[in-house]
Amino acid sequence: MFSPWILSLQLILFPLFWRGIYTTETNPELVLTDPVTTVFKSAVLKGDSLVEKVEILKPVDLELACTWTGNPNKLPNITGYWRKDGSEITNSRLTVQLENEQYNLKRVFRITGDTLGNYSCIFSDTDEAKIYFNVAAPEMDDKKDKPIVAYVGDSVTMACKTKLPPNAWLWYKANGTEQELINATTDPLRYKISVDGNTTKLTVMNLTEEDSGVYVCSAIYNIKASVSRVEVRVITFMEPLKPFIAIVAEVIILVLLILLYERWSSQKSSHSPTDNGVHAEPTHKLTREGNNGMDENTTTRQRKI
Amino acid sequence: MAKLQAPQSHQSQPAAPDGGWGWVVVGALFVTSALVFGIIRSMGVFFVEFVQYFEESAQAVSWITSIGLAMQQCVSPFGTALCNGYGARPVVMAGGCLSALGFILASQATCVTHLYLTLGVISGSGWALIFTPMVASVMQYFTRKRSLAMALGFTGVGLSSFAFSPLFQLLVEMYTWRGALLILGGLSLNMVACGALIRPLGTHKAVAALAPGESAWSCASIFHRAYSYLELSLLFHRPFLTYSLAITFFNCGYFVPYVHLVAHSRHEGFSQYQAAFVISATGVTDIVGRVVSGWASDLGRLRLPHMLVLWTGLLGLSLLLLPLGSLGGSYPGLLIISLAYGFCAGAMTPLVFAVVPEIVGMERMLGALGLLQMIESVGGLLGAPLSGLLKDLTGSYTASFLVAGGFLLLGTMVTTTLPHFFSCTDQRPLQRHARNHNNKQQNQQSPESGLMTNSISEKLNHIDTIPYSQPQLDRNSLQPEPELYMPLNRSRTDDATTKC
Repeated sequence: MFSPWILSLQLILFPLFWRGIYTTETNPELVLTDPVTTVFKSAVLKGDSLVEKVEILKPVDLELACTWTGNPNKLPNITGYWRKDGSEITNSRLTVQLENEQYNLKRVFRITGDTLGNYSCIFSDTDEAKIYFNVAAPEMDDKKDKPIVAYVGDSVTMACKTKLPPNAWLWYKANGTEQELINATTDPLRYKISVDGNTTKLTVMNLTEEDSGVYVCSAIYNIKASVSRVEVRVITFMEPLKPFIAIVAEVIILVLLILLYERWSSQKSSHSPTDNGVHAEPTHKLTREGNNGMDENTTTRQRKI
Repeated sequence: MAKLQAPQSHQSQPAAPDGGWGWVVVGALFVTSALVFGIIRSMGVFFVEFVQYFEESAQAVSWITSIGLAMQQCVSPFGTALCNGYGARPVVMAGGCLSALGFILASQATCVTHLYLTLGVISGSGWALIFTPMVASVMQYFTRKRSLAMALGFTGVGLSSFAFSPLFQLLVEMYTWRGALLILGGLSLNMVACGALIRPLGTHKAVAALAPGESAWSCASIFHRAYSYLELSLLFHRPFLTYSLAITFFNCGYFVPYVHLVAHSRHEGFSQYQAAFVISATGVTDIVGRVVSGWASDLGRLRLPHMLVLWTGLLGLSLLLLPLGSLGGSYPGLLIISLAYGFCAGAMTPLVFAVVPEIVGMERMLGALGLLQMIESVGGLLGAPLSGLLKDLTGSYTASFLVAGGFLLLGTMVTTTLPHFFSCTDQRPLQRHARNHNNKQQNQQSPESGLMTNSISEKLNHIDTIPYSQPQLDRNSLQPEPELYMPLNRSRTDDATTKC
C-alpha cells in the first residue's frame, strides 16, 4: 500500500513540517512559549560607547538592535557579540557585515524578573565599541538623600513618584534588616496611604520618637518591585529651643550691658566741670575713672578761679 | 563726654554730634535693616516649606510677605507718632519684641491664616515700629555726614540677603520650618538691643504739647496730640504732597526690574545661572551705588534735589534702555545696563530720604517719614501688578520696562516742580512756613522746644526688595522694603537755623 511515492512525499513533507516549527534562526525558545509582546529598542553608536536605559514593566521579549557607524577602518567583516552583566553570552558571536557604511547587530532576549540586568552589544575590531542597555524596572523619580525632620505630635508626609503607574504601591518600615509592612486600614489613626496614579503618599500622624527610621516605598510591577527609601527623623521641640534660649539670653545680657554702660558714662560725664553739686556726690559706684572726673573737675574749677 | 549731647531739653534741638556715638547708631541701623529686610527677602526658603506642608498654592503663601510689608508701611505713621510721644528708644525696643513675638507664634501655626496673622500682622507692625524710628534717629545724629551714615546703615540689607538665604536653608534642614521660625524670632529679638543703643538727643514733643490748664486726657488734648504726633498738618503742605506724588511714581517703577529681570533674562534665552548672576551683580552695584552716592552728596557740590533728579533720571533712562541692551541675545549688553540700573537705584535711595528735611524741616521730619511710607506703598502696590499685566498682554517684558522707566521719568519731572528747585542755594523758607503753620495749628507748641518731630519723608521704601529670593516671589511678595533715603539736606543750613 505504501507506495514509494507516498513515502517520498512524506519524506519531503517531513523536513518542511520540521522547518515550519522553527521559523527563526536565532532564538528557538520563542516559538515554544505563550504569545508574549515584543519590545524593540535600537541604538546608534557613533563613538566608542553609549548607555541606554530600557524600562520594562512586565515579562516581554526584548529585541535589542545595535548599529555602529563610527568605524574608521571600514572592514567588510567584524565580529559582534553580546554580554550580560559583564560576562559574555555563550554562542552569541556573529560575523557582522558592513552594509551601507554601518554594522548591525540584533538579538532578542526573554526578559523576566530574574533576567533583568545590563546587556551590551560589542563590535569587536581592533578596539571594542559597546552599547550598554540597562534593562530594569522603572526607577523612582526623586532621590531623597536628606532626612525628613518632624516634631513629636506633628505629622509627616512622604511621597514617591514614578513615570509609569505600577500595579500597586506598598509601604514598609525598615527595622534593621527586616521590613515591616505598613497597613493603613489596621491603624487609621496613625497611618494614611493615598495613591494617585503614579504618585503615592504616606502620612504618619501623631509622631513619636519610635517613628524615626527608614521608610521604604515599593512600586509593584509585573516584572519586579522598584523601591525607594526615605529617612525620617523625629525630634522634640527642645532641640530648636536650646539655640533660641541661648539667643534670648545673649540679647538680655547685651541690653543690660548697653544700659549699664550708658548709666555709667552719663554718671562719669555728670561729674564733669559744669555742676556745682559735684563735690556733694560721693555715693556713685563708679570706678577710678569717675574719681578722675572729680579730680579734673576740681582742677578745672581751680583753673577757672 | 563728647559722645553724649548735653541734654538741653529746654532749648532748641541740640546740634547733631555728627560722629562719635552716631556711628554706633549707624551700626544699629545696619543690624536692624539686615534683620528686617534681609529676613523679608530670604523668606523664599520658607515659602517652599509652607507650600508643601500646608498644601496651599504659592500665591496664597506669598501673601504673607505682602501683608507684612503692607503693615510695615501703613503702621509707620503710628510708629513715628509714638516716637513723637515717647522717644525713639522705647518704641524700637517694643517693636523688636513685637516682631520677635510674631515669629515665635508663627512657629506654632497650624494653617496659613495663622501665618498671615503672626508673620504678617504682628511682625509687620513690629517692623513698622522699628524701621522708621531707627532711620529718624540716625538722621538726627548726623547733619553733615547724614547721607553717608544712612548709606552705610542700609548696606545691611544687601549684605544680609546674601548671607541669610543659605543660613535659612540650613536652619530649615536641621529644625524644619517651625524650629527655624523660632530661632528667627530669637534673632529678631536682637533688635531690642539695637534700640537700646539709641541715646535720646533731646526731648520729644510730649513735654511741650500740653497747654497750661488743660488736662492731659481730655478729648481736645488727645486729638491735638494725635494730630501733632502724626503730623497730619503735612497733608495740607503742598511741597510735601508734591514730593510724595513724585515718590509714589518712583515706587511704581523702581521694583519692576527686581521682579522681572530674571524672567526677562530667561525670556531672552539666557541660562538660569546667567540670569541669577545678573541679579547678584545688580545687588552688588546697588550697595556700591548707595555708599558712593551718600559720600558724594555729602561733599556738597550739588544741591540734594538736583542730585536726586540726576540719579532718578539716569535710572529711568537705564530702564528704558534695558530691553535694548539684551537685543540680539547680547549678554554683556544686558549685564552692563543691569549694572547701571543697580548703581542708579542704589544711588537714589539715600537721596530720597535726604531731601525730605529740606522740604518739610527737621521739626516734622519724623511724622513726614511715616506718612511718606504710607503714601508710597500705593506705588508699590500698583507698580508690580501693572507690569505683570503688561507682560501678560504683550507677551514680553519690554512694555513693562518701558512703563517703569516712564514712571521714573515722570517722578523726576514732578520733583522739578518742588518750590525753589531751580535756585542754586538751599532755601529756608519752608521751615519758617512750617513753623508758622505749626503756630497756627497747635498753640501749645513752641518752635523753640526741642522738637524731635522732623518730617522726613521716607520716600522710597521699596528700594531693596526681592531680587534675592526670586523663585517663590511673585508680584504679591514684591512689596518694597522701605529704604530710608538718607536725608542729605545740607543740614548746615538746616538744623542750625531751624530754631534761631
